[in-house]
Amino acid sequence: MIITKKKDFQELMENIKNYKSFFLLGCSECATLCGTGGEPQLQEMKEALEAEGKEVTGTFVAKTGCQVLGTKVELKPHKDAISKAECIIVMSCGAGTQTAVELYEDKPVYPANDSMFLGNMTRLQMFDERCSLCGKCILDKTGGICPITACPKGLLNGPCGGCKDGHCEISPDIKCAWVRIYERMKRLGKLQELCDTTLEAKDWSASQKPRTLIAREEKKK
Amino acid sequence: MSFRDVLNSGKFVVTAEVGPPKGTDISEMIHHMELLKGKVDAINVTDNQSAVMRICSMAVCKIALEHGLEPILQMTCRDRNRIGLQSDLLGASILGIKNVLCMTGDHVSAGDHKGAKPVYDVESVQLLKIVDSLNNGKDMSGNELKGSTDFFQGAVVTPEANPLEPQLMKFEKKVKAGAKFFQTQAIYDIEKFKEFMKHARKFPVKVLAGFVVLKSAGMAKFLNNNVPGIRVPEELIEELKAAGKEKALDTGMDITARHIRQLKEEGICDGVHIMAIGMEDKVPEIMQRAGLL
Ligand code: SF4
Ligand code: SF4
Repeated sequence: MIITKKKDFQELMENIKNYKSFFLLGCSECATLCGTGGEPQLQEMKEALEAEGKEVTGTFVAKTGCQVLGTKVELKPHKDAISKAECIIVMSCGAGTQTAVELYEDKPVYPANDSMFLGNMTRLQMFDERCSLCGKCILDKTGGICPITACPKGLLNGPCGGCKDGHCEISPDIKCAWVRIYERMKRLGKLQELCDTTLEAKDWSASQKPRTLIAREEKKK
Repeated sequence: MSFRDVLNSGKFVVTAEVGPPKGTDISEMIHHMELLKGKVDAINVTDNQSAVMRICSMAVCKIALEHGLEPILQMTCRDRNRIGLQSDLLGASILGIKNVLCMTGDHVSAGDHKGAKPVYDVESVQLLKIVDSLNNGKDMSGNELKGSTDFFQGAVVTPEANPLEPQLMKFEKKVKAGAKFFQTQAIYDIEKFKEFMKHARKFPVKVLAGFVVLKSAGMAKFLNNNVPGIRVPEELIEELKAAGKEKALDTGMDITARHIRQLKEEGICDGVHIMAIGMEDKVPEIMQRAGLL
């Protein structure tokens, strides 16, 4: 899921200081799991804004905020509340925020969160980054552990000289990705394969931005 | 004779390290070069070591050539993408730089520009392959070069890495990628190093053992606790302690000289690499004590 973190409230207040009335838009997927854009957080935000003398004309938690058409349909009943608001505050990820930008061309839209990374929830409200969306997955060659993400240098062929007692040079709190990969391949009986493969320099054109994908088959006319 | 020829001749080689300064005053660095001239077979010029921004390695290599020293261009993958690296390699070649040491490079978080974007477009193994390819007249995308390079390429290895196995895997990948020589992280335990060499001798590469002179028992402990892949044995720490504050540095130099002498006499490796880190002026004396001058 996309991991988000609330922006500092004062920073948000500074960004929206010229507006008085707001519509709050959350998301029931990642932002809800991250505790940044679910029902309770929208309620909290409403109270905090009102305490600052602002008006909240309405709130809504979209099913999937990055789904543009679905969100458009869901927001139809909130048309009045939205038109009464001077601006929209989106409490999801940067993608959800830009759904609102696309749907309301004439209205200022502000993000309430910082979007951090694509992550796994390891325990309640604890998240780890495991995939950098590089566009050409190599997990098949690295025992299912992603060195592009788990190694701060994104090394593809083994540990650097900075590995200390199995930990990463940048922090003793991080286990060296390459020690993990080595151990896992050993457990799987695939060490020879790991040692015999030298991965070529990655083709970063697969992560050239902005990326688009048309996954549906166009119907033949 | 070039560094490559000396190493291939079977002579026990000595390389030392010169760290470019931060700023344009190079008088002290030139002084160090003058001290090392005629004594060492080549000098490594570090590449923004510890991710601290300094004069670039290539410019200092050129200065070394002008002062009659043979430079080894250290090249990390931290600050340049594949275009920058290849372009700099071609540039180094036309400046007469013949040796290149391919490294991954310390992470920017260790240095003095912590907010910098680390590059690592390629890494040490791939950089070695790039050098091999430029030597063979092609860039890494397979495009023909008008005039190829003629580099003698090396890499680094940490014989006391913990855990060691993944490090050895990388060592072998570097050999396969074309590394001709290796310079090691500082070693202090000759018996352990011999074990590493038993393994390394299976491959057609030259190995230069790395040395960092111990200045005090405190420094030894600091290295043990903070520097990856360095392990100073307890006996040496005791030896430094027993020497007392006044004589600690002298004892540290003795230890280095004694180790170098043993490596040479027993033919354990092909040479040594002395990383003086601010004590470049002591290198000739260490060499003398080791019987190399
Ligand atoms: S290699 Fe890593 S970053 Fe790339 S797609 Fe696979 S998991 Fe994601
Ligand atoms: S210590 Fe391991 S995880 Fe950290 S940068 Fe080096 S190889 Fe990557």
